[in-house]
Amino acid sequence: MDLIKIKQVVDLMKKSDLSEFEIQDQDFKLRIKRDVPGRAPVAAQAAPLAAAPAPVAPAAPAALAPAAPAAADPSIKVVTSPMVGTYYCTPSPENPPFVTVGSPIKADSVVCIIEAMKVMNEIQSEISGTVVECLVANGTSVEFGQPLFRVKVS
Amino acid sequence: MNKILIANRGEIALRVIRACRELGIKTVAVYSQADEQSLHVQLADEAVCIGPGPSKDSYLREDRIISAAEITNVDAIHPGYGFLSERAGFAEKCAAANIKFIGPSPEVIRKMGDKAVARQTAAAAKVPCVPGTDGPVDNQREAIKEAQRIGFPVIVKAVAGGGGKGMRIVHNAAAFAKEFESARAEADKAFGDARVYIEKYIEQPRHIEFQLLGDEHGKVIHLGERDCSVQRRHQKLIEESPSPFLTPKLREEMGKVSVKLAETIGYQNAGTIEFLVDKNGKYYFMEMNTRIQVEHGVTEEVTDIDLVRRQILIACGEKLELSQKDIKMTGHAIECRINAEDPARNFAPSPGTIGLYYTPGGHGIRVDSHCYSGYVIPPLYDSMVAKLISVGATRQKALDRMHRALGEYIIRGIHTTIPVCRAIMKDPAFRQGGATTKYLEDFFERTPKELWSAAPLT
Repeated sequence: MDLIKIKQVVDLMKKSDLSEFEIQDQDFKLRIKRDVPGRAPVAAQAAPLAAAPAPVAPAAPAALAPAAPAAADPSIKVVTSPMVGTYYCTPSPENPPFVTVGSPIKADSVVCIIEAMKVMNEIQSEISGTVVECLVANGTSVEFGQPLFRVKVS
Repeated sequence: MNKILIANRGEIALRVIRACRELGIKTVAVYSQADEQSLHVQLADEAVCIGPGPSKDSYLREDRIISAAEITNVDAIHPGYGFLSERAGFAEKCAAANIKFIGPSPEVIRKMGDKAVARQTAAAAKVPCVPGTDGPVDNQREAIKEAQRIGFPVIVKAVAGGGGKGMRIVHNAAAFAKEFESARAEADKAFGDARVYIEKYIEQPRHIEFQLLGDEHGKVIHLGERDCSVQRRHQKLIEESPSPFLTPKLREEMGKVSVKLAETIGYQNAGTIEFLVDKNGKYYFMEMNTRIQVEHGVTEEVTDIDLVRRQILIACGEKLELSQKDIKMTGHAIECRINAEDPARNFAPSPGTIGLYYTPGGHGIRVDSHCYSGYVIPPLYDSMVAKLISVGATRQKALDRMHRALGEYIIRGIHTTIPVCRAIMKDPAFRQGGATTKYLEDFFERTPKELWSAAPLT
């Protein structure tokens, strides 16, 4: 397969909303993946030899919530976890949640608590705006970098 | 034990996962954002991201690792080597969180981690140490008296030293004054601290270390030695067992001495005592490593004992059923560290994407590696790609087998130390078993660069 044909395939993909394309010839195999809004981006690869095992997405551990898809809307930002621990949406079991969908927040607003090693850490939003989505259920374990809230920036 | 968290990455994380699998123990991997595509993350039963790429923000974050251990409900943490494996504070945090730290006690880690205290402890246990002054010496008169007491040649070393700076070798009393002052001046300039101490200079030593296992019921045994004399800038490149230099008598004596020291300090789990051995067979305690080591596989291949498995079982409280007479060393094993470094450019690091990756195989070959075709080696951690171990009935067979295996090993896309190791396997000085810690320096001086910096022909 020559460069011209590869370019044609790439153009075809761009015009459509195909995110993945694979073709195999006698001694040539081509697989192209591209970043489509709502999907995790993966690097394009072409393998003239028998295809090497492609890097797989990290195994989604049973105990932890899976990563939320990347936001397509640029006015939506994601608050991610700065630590490893257990997520709580309320200051204590009897109280109402810190935030819910629609809550206005400022950069220093406390949006949740993450308990790590018996210490309750108040997590600040660091984004000003309105909460659009709460991504983690109360009491579940979270890892570093895990998305917690989607916020419409104001 | 049901579940273990591995507080490490790369090939050692994989090694621990394998041992856990064989024991039916579930595994939790922790990883930085730079290691998402890492093999240990894929193969563990669970994985927790603990931070961005840099080690100080991830693999060295004691709090996040303990947190990860708590949320995944593990029974123990295996620290591997490097990172937190020799941090007494981390071992203490594990204990406080009711998580078993797979290794010796925090007190032992602390004691043997302090070089001065370790020396004193060894000396108290009647282990020969490199003769030297107890602390710094600042006046010339006292210094030369000490030097004469120790016996020339001596080495004057900066207390705050490192990287070979602030060191002067002195061969006789006539040269002493000049070299002493010179060392102090250099130390002052390089470290802002002119304090120096004096040690006996062991000429062309061999680096020989003894592997130990101690259970939690007071039993300690040794599993023989590894000769790690082939080093570049104090980094080991090639290790082998048994040492081509040790006689059975010396092996028995050094083994006994190692076990005695470990017993004295109440050592538990796996550990290694490192010695310098001079050309006359006089040995000196250098230091103790209170963890599993990179080159542990060499001992596994000649003793047929799974050291990581043993570490886990010891941590479970199991008694070591082996006694010293059960330990037999059979055949010869050699390990070559394959690092992502470019020999032609002074071993500059060579991170990047591995293209085709094909490992050698066949009888007597073991490869411990976390790499695969398409894997991207991050620039943030050490340069180790793989450990290649060859085993043979004799040293010669192991050498030739290693040479054959290195010739088959394909790692495209990055530079590696494969050609250096391959050339060493054919070098007469190495084949004769004469390597001391000066060996590699000499090898580079006398061997044409083309023989050790070109890609191997396959």
